[in-house]
Amino acid sequence: MEKQKLNTFIHLLQKSFTQKQPAFDLGLIVKESKSQIEVKEVFEEIKEFVDIERIVYDETIFDEDVIDKIIDTFQKNKWVFLEIKKDIGSLLLNQLKHLATHNSPQLIDYQGKDIFEMKMPENSRLIVFAERDFIENKITYPHFYRLFGPTLSLK
Amino acid sequence: MPNPETIRFKSPEELKEEEIERKIKERGPEGEILGGIVFEEEKVVDPETKEEKIKRYIYIGNPYEERPIITKLETDANQEEIEAIKREIIPMKESFEILEAMARTYKHRQPLLIEGPTAIGKTYLADKFTELRYGKGVKPLDFYCSGQTDVSELMAKWVPKVETEEEKKKWNEFLESAEAQEKISKIAEEVEQKEKLSQEQKLALIHTKLQELAKSAGLSEKTQWRFQYGAVPKAMGLIKNPDGSFSFDEQKGTGFILHIEEVGLAEPQVINALLKLRGKRGQLAEEIQLWENGGRKVKAGPKFWVFFSTNPPEEYLARNEVDPALARGVVFKRMKELSVESLHLAADYYFTYKLGEKPKEKPEGCILDIYNHPEIGREISKVVSAFHNDLNKELKKGEEGRQQRIPLTLDDMARVADALIDTQIRSKETGRLDLTETLKKLIHFYYLDRLADEDLKETMEANLNEILNGDTGKIEFEGKLLTRKEIFDILVERASITEEEEKVRCEEEKKKAKERELKQAQFNAQDALNSLLKNPEIPESVKKLLQE
Repeated sequence: MEKQKLNTFIHLLQKSFTQKQPAFDLGLIVKESKSQIEVKEVFEEIKEFVDIERIVYDETIFDEDVIDKIIDTFQKNKWVFLEIKKDIGSLLLNQLKHLATHNSPQLIDYQGKDIFEMKMPENSRLIVFAERDFIENKITYPHFYRLFGPTLSLK
Repeated sequence: MPNPETIRFKSPEELKEEEIERKIKERGPEGEILGGIVFEEEKVVDPETKEEKIKRYIYIGNPYEERPIITKLETDANQEEIEAIKREIIPMKESFEILEAMARTYKHRQPLLIEGPTAIGKTYLADKFTELRYGKGVKPLDFYCSGQTDVSELMAKWVPKVETEEEKKKWNEFLESAEAQEKISKIAEEVEQKEKLSQEQKLALIHTKLQELAKSAGLSEKTQWRFQYGAVPKAMGLIKNPDGSFSFDEQKGTGFILHIEEVGLAEPQVINALLKLRGKRGQLAEEIQLWENGGRKVKAGPKFWVFFSTNPPEEYLARNEVDPALARGVVFKRMKELSVESLHLAADYYFTYKLGEKPKEKPEGCILDIYNHPEIGREISKVVSAFHNDLNKELKKGEEGRQQRIPLTLDDMARVADALIDTQIRSKETGRLDLTETLKKLIHFYYLDRLADEDLKETMEANLNEILNGDTGKIEFEGKLLTRKEIFDILVERASITEEEEKVRCEEEKKKAKERELKQAQFNAQDALNSLLKNPEIPESVKKLLQE
């Protein structure tokens, strides 16, 4: 994997933009079809740069649990590495959209609040990892790419 | 002298209206829009306590209109906040068209649906409108539709209270099955038909039936169920507390702003649920009845307002036309693409760094404080907006190798502008900022690297090079026809001169000017002497003395 590219990708995510609202971007790492890189390898490389936790979104986990884990990771001031392995459910999509648009999740009746909002900590970011074929063929949400700022393509 | 019969005295209301209209249409020295949103405080007498108090209002109107329709709304924001929010809105014609529509429909409790392309700013302006109404940092209640949206998320659902992880998993699996969803819907519908029961009895019956259902599915029958409202009833009964938090009252709530995004992606059953929001005379419903809670009614507070947004159906695959029944029940506004003028204006705002805060100190990675040099920003904005426009046109046709269409937004431009502050490349020849190379790299990263179509990428790369270095990109600059690169180099050179260098340069200029003056004086003296020597009336003895 090109370290320089990954370095730039992390650097751009760390930036807090001065004009764009909201200030932080969500990042996307796309594994291209012919790439031999393993997701674990990518995660370990990123771990060298930042304090990050991995969440796998697949058939064994529910949207509510993923959302709990994301919020929990943010509360620990850490980055989230979200590996997408199934089409994004409505609940999670709502939160990803809200994070991309406002840098904060917004939940109804959550943690004892009628409306729960939590500003994404300055030291936290969210990176989504997915394979190109999966994005193209399994993700039904037509604006998926638009949720993200910097995109790193792994060839 | 005017005919006394035609003289008409204006009422105080008329004078006030004229004053507000003048402020709405206010422009700066270079013709830039300063109005559009006007803040005013008014003294009002409380009808109950008879006490005088100050109330805050905003007036919103489209400053591009000759005779704008101006809407007055109450606001919780103070003047400072309103000014700050105004500074974050690029005064494009389209922005004010949207804000004006929002203000007008909000005032009359009419739901608004805006169908327009991604870059038009629907979401951003919904946020800004909420801030204008409630104060800086307050966001609307957002709901995003997709093909997977379930009616229960919008309206209401029963959620089991489970203790262990294992139980939770079991429950979720059960609840996500089509069979369970169908059975739960049936229970609620059956109970709703029992007209003789009171609402409390209906709720108790729903609860018992849900427990029976759980038992039949092999789950604990003792599980308790909790009723949870979805986004619509929540927004109807929300109360924004003075400390910024929210509380909810289904009967006495004041209501809040609900933004339902991408409604074009919603499935018919979701649209059907949304149709419950239609009220009398095109207004929002005053209450809705939910069968999920035994038919109890939720009242819409006076400040409840719904704004729907969606992209045009031709822009994306899987997007439906807006449902005709929904379109009839809302104020439907279709927006076109951002005009080229608006795109230029946005680029100018981003690259001259008019929005947000500028860095107080030169950040690491910054060779030239470009954010303090609007003359450079203006030239960059011309290049980027032209490139953005060209690429957007191409992307609209779709890309080879990608199913999703990814139209550009103004954020892409903002990202380049912000990265330009501290991601700069130094020229090896001059030691100064190499603006052309930096811009190329950033445009590559933020615009071209996303392209799946390699041919398009190559074409756009060649176009960018042509704009920057080629003959077709040449424009007149200070009387000369120059490439953009040459113009950038001149402007960077001028801006790079440090204060110390400027001082030395000024001293040298002064020294040279003095030398020139002295030389001129010498020439003048020589001329005077020559004319004296040529004068026949001056005696030769005097001339001899002068020559010595």
